[in-house]
Amino acid sequence: MRNILGKVAFFTAFTALMIFILSPIVWILLMSFKDYADVIAYPPKFLFTPTLDNYRDVLVGAGSDTAGEAAQFRQYLLNSVIVSGGAVLLSLIVGVPAAFALSRQRIRGSDHLAFTFLSFRFAPELAIIIPLYAFFQQVKLYDSYIGLILAHQLITIPLVVWIVRTFLADVPLEIEEAAQLDGCGSWRVLWLIVAPVIKPGIASAAILAFIFSWNNLLMGLVLSGVSTRPVTVGIMEAIGFDQIRWGWMAAAAMIAAVPGMIIAVYLQRYIVSGLKAGIVK
Amino acid sequence: MLIARQVDSPRHSTSHRRQKRSFVFMLLPALLLIVGIMFFFLQGIARSFTNEKSYIRNPTFVGFDNYVALFSDSTFLVGLGATMLYVLLVLMLQIPLALSIALLLDKTSFMRRIGRNLIVLPLLIPPIVAGLMWKTMMQPSAGVLNFILSSIGLPGGSWLTDPATSLLSVVLIDTWAFTSFSTLIILAGLQSLPKSLREAATVDGAGWWQTFRHISLPLLMPYVVLVALFRVADSLKQFDLIWPVTRGGPLNSTRLLHVQGYEEAFRFSSPAMAMAIIFVLWIIIYLASFLLLRLWRRTVNAVD
Repeated sequence: MRNILGKVAFFTAFTALMIFILSPIVWILLMSFKDYADVIAYPPKFLFTPTLDNYRDVLVGAGSDTAGEAAQFRQYLLNSVIVSGGAVLLSLIVGVPAAFALSRQRIRGSDHLAFTFLSFRFAPELAIIIPLYAFFQQVKLYDSYIGLILAHQLITIPLVVWIVRTFLADVPLEIEEAAQLDGCGSWRVLWLIVAPVIKPGIASAAILAFIFSWNNLLMGLVLSGVSTRPVTVGIMEAIGFDQIRWGWMAAAAMIAAVPGMIIAVYLQRYIVSGLKAGIVK
Repeated sequence: MLIARQVDSPRHSTSHRRQKRSFVFMLLPALLLIVGIMFFFLQGIARSFTNEKSYIRNPTFVGFDNYVALFSDSTFLVGLGATMLYVLLVLMLQIPLALSIALLLDKTSFMRRIGRNLIVLPLLIPPIVAGLMWKTMMQPSAGVLNFILSSIGLPGGSWLTDPATSLLSVVLIDTWAFTSFSTLIILAGLQSLPKSLREAATVDGAGWWQTFRHISLPLLMPYVVLVALFRVADSLKQFDLIWPVTRGGPLNSTRLLHVQGYEEAFRFSSPAMAMAIIFVLWIIIYLASFLLLRLWRRTVNAVD
């Protein structure tokens, strides 16, 4: 009897949880396949004839008036890929060797240094963005990929350094010492021996950093202009304040969430292991 | 091994020095980055002591004027209060919820595995998208939430459009977007608990609640505090979720400090005032993290 009650309680709680998590996503997904009349229909429609018009409007446009807007949206997507991809790449180039040096060499204050990186994760982004905004305008980095990639380091480098550092702690030092005795320099030890071992850790760090960079709104809102605007800001701009084009917004939002969805399906274990390494350990 | 060391010893000191030097080179770019970030941070703080505005040509040093003005400005104080309330609501709602979900999805079973996979989803959706999804559903007149409420006989809410409920509504969106993060961390903690300990307690005849209360929970405390640390810091500086959803309104009810800083800098052209707000926010985050980190160390020691 108690067993059955327990099962009922579990199923109730589990179902409630799944409804809470999935229903907003499902609702917007449905909305993205509705035509305008179905979107604004009240009572809300759960059954309707699906249409791909919204996706067409977002990605290719219909006719000459919306084609330009669609081209712009595609550019926003490309901008996001360039900025987030570039930011992660730079963070890996800078962060992986730094994490290696920090974990292998007892330099005074190396724990301090690692903590400094982590503390960036906790700082309000505007503390850096406002000064950067003025500086970038002076040195012509405003509305440039390089400027945005540099600014995004505030988001990506703490994740990379911290996650890679914890994965490095699990690598046995014996192999490295043996390689050093054979005359391998530190760079070669890192590249040839350590990096292959911690590949999953590097992948986790890269994926998490990419997600957080891709999802960010504030950096792009301030530091990007017409030519480098990321997709988050693109969606933000396209929704007017009084009149929201719901169908368009739903389709654009779904498209902006595509990298996350792909990662959710194919690379999820890296996220979980990365979060564990970066935070729990 | 001994022989190898003897053979190697004459070269050892030079190779060691060379190794040390390459470590310095490995750290150098990262150090530059830290110095750069620190430089801009300090420069920003320095600017908060000036009267810089985009239309003032030569800003001058004004001491603590901006800070004095802030603390006598009712909009700022309302924002400060809203920020604190936001953090409090987030903690009160999300920590028990994350703990419950983690307990629900712990252990191995087919459904729990699916559940563990699905709860990652909100984490992967940009906060602006999450915010817009919920805003759509929270529409008072035509939204699906009120429709569902009214179809089961409950009164609908004004959600984001009423100053009395707007902050709570944003907290609800925040809960949807970020409880997964907290749950995953607590789940990792649960899975690292020694199973033998819990089994021993069950054998001794302790009920589920007693086992949880006296054995699992104390061992989980470090993870719970860590979750609190991240949630406190992130909600104190929440911007991405609020800006697209309410832009601080209605009637300043959701104008948290990070939002206020943004408006001050980029709508009211006063970077000096903005940096003063951001610096106050930074100090609050720093103090809160410091206290929570101390609490975290204490819980870790308690476990040992």
